[in-house]
Amino acid sequence: MNVAEMNVNELKMTKRLRVSGCILLLGLLVEAFSLFWNHPLAFIAFATLGMFLILGGVALYLFSLLGYTSAEGTGSSSYHGKV
Amino acid sequence: MPTTAVFVVLAITIAIVAVVVIKPEITAARGGKILAFVGLFIFPGLVSVLGFENHVERSKQTTFCLSCHVMEPYGKSLHVDDASYIPAAHFQNGRVPRDQACYTCHTDYTIFYGGIKSKIRGLHHIYVQYIGTAQNPIRLYHPYNNRECLHCHEGSRSFEQGVVHTADPQTMIDIKSNKLSCTSSGCHDTIHNIPKLDQVKYWEAPK
Repeated sequence: MNVAEMNVNELKMTKRLRVSGCILLLGLLVEAFSLFWNHPLAFIAFATLGMFLILGGVALYLFSLLGYTSAEGTGSSSYHGKV
Repeated sequence: MPTTAVFVVLAITIAIVAVVVIKPEITAARGGKILAFVGLFIFPGLVSVLGFENHVERSKQTTFCLSCHVMEPYGKSLHVDDASYIPAAHFQNGRVPRDQACYTCHTDYTIFYGGIKSKIRGLHHIYVQYIGTAQNPIRLYHPYNNRECLHCHEGSRSFEQGVVHTADPQTMIDIKSNKLSCTSSGCHDTIHNIPKLDQVKYWEAPK
């Protein structure tokens, strides 16, 4: 599917997927670096910053799915129809 | 789970998320949707659970406890060349695992073990290490419980048939019920003894 063919909802979905993916990548990198370090601060970094970013990324992904599903329900999207 | 396995799952997750970020249009297909769901929902959760479990395991290590400045003398006391120093005798003779020496005797003390209070204390220890001021000298929150000694010594011949332990039948009952402290009743009372650390000889583990 060409990006140019996507309607507004599809572009929104793509953007949200990218943003949630980037947030998740950041969180995963924080968690990865924390695992290299055997120190209480590594745990704090893992449990606060890492978990926060991962939860944020997952929440945004789920939110984008919900948003897309409701948009599809109103018939304003052809995203799934073109698959 | 070993750290290597956690890294493998992490690497797979990063790869999937990177694919979705670089080519989000793949999610238009059914396979892409499943891949995105696995990579953006299932695997990050799995990585977080495995990583947390890995951090919990690491926190048992002696090096983890001794990474705080205030704990350094306690680590030093494990190398005192004097058998009357209880932690040193246990550490040097392998009565406790050397890589988990602190955790073995102070199980209820860390962030991850014991009750809610222990967990709050563990976080408080991190707070005072980096933001507040640690007590000097540091003290136990409550008297040392014989339970930590009896984890290993209960049932052992030297403990159950020890001359002092069996001299009076009440002694053993009091030890096991924590009424008579192992460490502060005048019997095994040389513990870390931090104030005297500059007056003792040290043992070097053979390499």
